[in-house]
This record gives sequence, structure tokens and C-alpha cells, in this order.
Amino acid sequence: MINVDKLSKTFKSVQALNSLSFQAKDGEITGLLGPNGAGKTTCLRIIYGLLQADEGKAEIEGVDANVNPMGARKNLGIFPDKFGLYERLTVREQVAYFAELHGLSGSAQKEAVSQVIKKLDIEELADRRTGGFSQGQRMKVALAQALVHSPKHLILDEPSRGLDVMSTRILRDVLREQRAQGTCILFSSHVMQEVAALCDRVVVMAAGKVAAEGTPEELCQMTGEEQLEDAFVKIIGTDEGIAA
Amino acid sequence: MSALVTVWKKEFRDAIRDKRSVFAAMSYAFFGPMLMAVAFFFLISQLTDQADVGIEIEGKEHAPQFVEFLNENGIVEKQGDWSENETPIILRLPESWSTKIADAEPVEVALNADWSSQKQQTDIKRVEKAVQAYSSQIASYRLILRGVDPRVVQPIQLQKQDVATKGSKAALIMGSVLVFIILSVFWSGMNVAIDISAGERERNSLEFLLSQPLSTWDIVTGKALTASTFSLFGAALSLIIIPIIFAYVPLHEIGMNVNFSVGMMLLMFLLLVPLAVFATALQLFVSFRAKNFKEAQTYISFLLIIPMAASFGVEFARLKNPILYYLPLTGQHQAFLSLIRGESINVMGTVISAIATLVAALLLIKYIARLLKSEKIVFGL
Repeated sequence: MINVDKLSKTFKSVQALNSLSFQAKDGEITGLLGPNGAGKTTCLRIIYGLLQADEGKAEIEGVDANVNPMGARKNLGIFPDKFGLYERLTVREQVAYFAELHGLSGSAQKEAVSQVIKKLDIEELADRRTGGFSQGQRMKVALAQALVHSPKHLILDEPSRGLDVMSTRILRDVLREQRAQGTCILFSSHVMQEVAALCDRVVVMAAGKVAAEGTPEELCQMTGEEQLEDAFVKIIGTDEGIAA
Repeated sequence: MSALVTVWKKEFRDAIRDKRSVFAAMSYAFFGPMLMAVAFFFLISQLTDQADVGIEIEGKEHAPQFVEFLNENGIVEKQGDWSENETPIILRLPESWSTKIADAEPVEVALNADWSSQKQQTDIKRVEKAVQAYSSQIASYRLILRGVDPRVVQPIQLQKQDVATKGSKAALIMGSVLVFIILSVFWSGMNVAIDISAGERERNSLEFLLSQPLSTWDIVTGKALTASTFSLFGAALSLIIIPIIFAYVPLHEIGMNVNFSVGMMLLMFLLLVPLAVFATALQLFVSFRAKNFKEAQTYISFLLIIPMAASFGVEFARLKNPILYYLPLTGQHQAFLSLIRGESINVMGTVISAIATLVAALLLIKYIARLLKSEKIVFGL
């Protein structure tokens, strides 16, 4: 479970997060929905300990990454905002590197790497260097890196950006499969269909605060709109920065 | 600890596949000594150039002894024709030579040449000098014959003390070899150091690496060890190639005898190990702050001035301060100087400077590790 409690963060004169609180439960996919600049990435970076919160705390299974980053990250898979690959390494070597950093070694490591490669259906890419991969292929490698140690928690920062339909479907399938295994999944997005199709719960963010929270249906009911997109616009009070 | 090794292994595999990094590490070791050898070759041949001066001597049959004296002093009969841009240098000996010498009367000898010609000036001067030397030799004989000490006509004796002796030229040569060796650890790992820090940021993989469950100390140390491995590889290559190339440089002609023994090379390599870690720590410190490869490259080229200033500065300013034995960089330099001169090295100073270098490197790595926890540095906020 990921627990975000009254997080505040200011960059110079910009207030990125303003007492943000929400929870992401195990075995559920929680969507963090918000327009560009709402503070989604900042929030996620605080959760995995790359940024320090000014006030409040974010805990993964009760461990605060600002206090104990090693402990918090042990059981966490991350798909970051920027996922650069090591273009001179093969997919297998790359995934194995991150498996090793999570303490997997020997045959357990080999097994985990083969499994995640199979799961993402990238076996024919596995022994190629990643230089020159397409966006979809790169996404799969990044996802494999995040999943190789079978984390209990998964944080994804706009994972579907730049993907075609096929790749998006694979991504959704993988996330659903992880949910079935009881993984706590938190992902940010500004794409409506994505959230509507995938999320059990949606946290709508605007200007660093939670604007509304609930299932997609609840949000629609709350605002009296039929479409999540209209509900979203109504909730945040503007249509600025929304992609359909 | 194991995370450190993991990072080291991965970065090393990554770097060794980067042709640019490998080539950078090797090119310095290969082309550097070669360039230096060529430069020294010319320097030495210029220093030792004492070719005979060819002139025309008219009437040499009148003074065979004088001609013989000239020959001994490197002034000989010109073989072949004068080239177009040369004016003939002609020495004319009169018929009356032997009678005038016998009568102790001045003999008029004419030297016909172009004094304004830059190229021939040293030749002309040498002829003049030789004639004067013969003249004062005869004067001395005459005075002795008359029972006078020849020194009475030489009230002042000018002693020329040429500072540019062969010895100091040799020191210059060896000094630059030493600086070259020391620079090799800075140069050879440079490309790798930039690639694994500024390059990692530029390729957008830094954020993901930093959010893994390993300490920034492990990350930085693993990366520093990778770059150090490359810089030591370059240094080893330089140490192997230098003696081979210098075997072809006629150092003995300027009275130099450098013995590059295997033991000495091994000792030098050992002394370079802490320096390599220090060099890469410095480079990582600079390039982790750069936004991309290009920017890091610009900063790091300024960094190269530090070892150059430290070694050349000490070399040319002839600094002799005992503290130099104990400091990073200058300590290694002093030890190398002693080694190459065949003197015994200051063991205490060398050990202390090695430890000081390593400690400085570790502190720097610790500081970089702290920088990587700062959101200002990581995200450039």
C-alpha cells in the first residue's frame, strides 16, 4: 500500500504540491489524473525518494522513502518520467543489471530475467542492443526493468505516452496481470481513455491538490456527466492542458 | 559493496563497447610517445650538429700547417659547388706566408664572404675564430721564445658558462616525459568519465538508476572505478610504449643514459594507481554537474591544466620545497623524478603522498555521492 499524507513541495516560487493526500491499495490500479503541471511527477518522485517533501510524508508499506530510501525502494518497481536505455547493452544485460541491483543473483536472476522477457513478449529482441529501438520496444524494456524483481508496488509515470495501439494493449494486459497478483499499482496519466479503461480508482489532481477521488463511475455520478472527460473538466474547472 | 561491483561490472562492459572511449584511452598512449620521440629526435640532432664548414682556401700550398690546423677545427675545403642562395666563403693566403711568419711580420689573410647572410653567419664566425685561434697560438710561441709568459697579454679571461648545457636539455626532455606519464591517467579515462556521468544524464537514464535501492556512494564509486580502470590501462600502455620508442632516440648523444627497467616501470604504475582514482574523481565531480557530454568536455579540458601546471610548474620554477613530496600529484612527480635520475626515492614522502591522494579521491567521491542526493544537482532545479 502506498500512503501519501499531506505532501507539500515548493520549487522557488512555484507551489507544486499543496497538502496532497491519497492512498493506493494493494491489488488495485490507482490512476493519478491531472493536467500538465498538476504535480503528478513531483508527487511520484517524492514517493520513491528522489525529491524531498517540504511537509508531510509518503510511505510505501509504512516506509518513508525520504527517511529510508533503500528500504522503500526494495519492494518497488519504477517506470520513470524519463526512461533512457543503455544503448550499448542488450535487453537481457540491461534487465539483468537492475535485477542484480535488487539483489538477485545466479540462477534466480537468470530465471527472473527470462520470465519477464517472456511476459512482455520481447524474446526476439532480448539479445539485441537497445540502440535504435522504437518507442514501443523501449517502453517494453523499461517495463521489464521495473518488473524483473517482482515488486509489490509499481509506480508508472505516464507509461502510455507515445505508444501505438498494440503497445498500449500490451501495457494494459501486463498491468492487469500484475493487479491480479496483488500488486499495488499507481500510475499517472493525462489520457482519459487510459484511466477509464484501466483504473479501479482515480485521484484527480489539480494545482498540487486532490480535486476529487473515486471510481471512474463515481466521478461521473458526482458531476452528473456521462463521460469521464467531461467529469474531469468539471472537476478541475478548466479544460487547460487536457489531452483527449 | 556488491552493488558497487555490479555497477562497476556493468559500466565497464558498457564503456568497453564504446569505441570512442577505448580509442581515446589508447590513442594517447600510442601517439603521444611517438610525437615526443620525433620532437626529441630533432632537438638532439640540433644540439649535436657540429658538421664541418666547407670553404674555399686559395693558396693553401703556402701554409700547409695552417690548413692542417683549420681541418682539425672542422674547417675544410669545400666539396662540390656552392648552392644558389649561398655566397662563397673564400680564405686567401698570401704567397709571402712563410717568410712573413719567419720574420714575425703580420700576414694579411683575406676572408671573402657575405656577413649579412643569416644562414652563413655561424660558418663565417667559425672561420674567424679558427684564424684567431691560430694567430694567438703563434703569438704565444713567440712570447715563450722571447722568455715572456704569454699570460701577460691576456689580462682578462672570459669564461663562458652556457646555461643551456646538454645536462639541462636532458632534464627538460625527461621532465616532459614525466609530465606525459602523469597526464596519461588524466587523459585516458576522461572520455569514460564523461560518458558515465554527463552521458548518463543526457541519455535520461540517471533518474532511473538513482531510484534503485543502492546508495549513491555505490553508484559513484562503481563509476569511478570503471573510469580509473581505463585511465590505468592507458597509463600502463604509455609505460610499456615509452621505453620501446625511446630505444630509437639517440639519447646517449647528449650524454643521457636512461635505463627504463621493468622494476622501475612497475613502481611507477603502482604510484599511478591512487592518482588515477583521484583524476577520475575530479573528472566525475566536474562532469556530473554538466548537463550533457559537450558541456562536460569543455569543463574537463580546463581540468587538464591542473596536472600540467603542477608538474611543469614545479619543473620549471625549480621549486624545492619538502612539502612537494607529500602532496597529491607533486608527490608522485617528485618520486618519478628521483626514479628517472636513478636516485633513491623519498619513501616516507611517496607513501604519504599516495595515501593523501587516495584520501582526497575518496573525500571527493563522498562529496559527489552527496551531490547526487540533492535535487538541485539531479534535476538541475
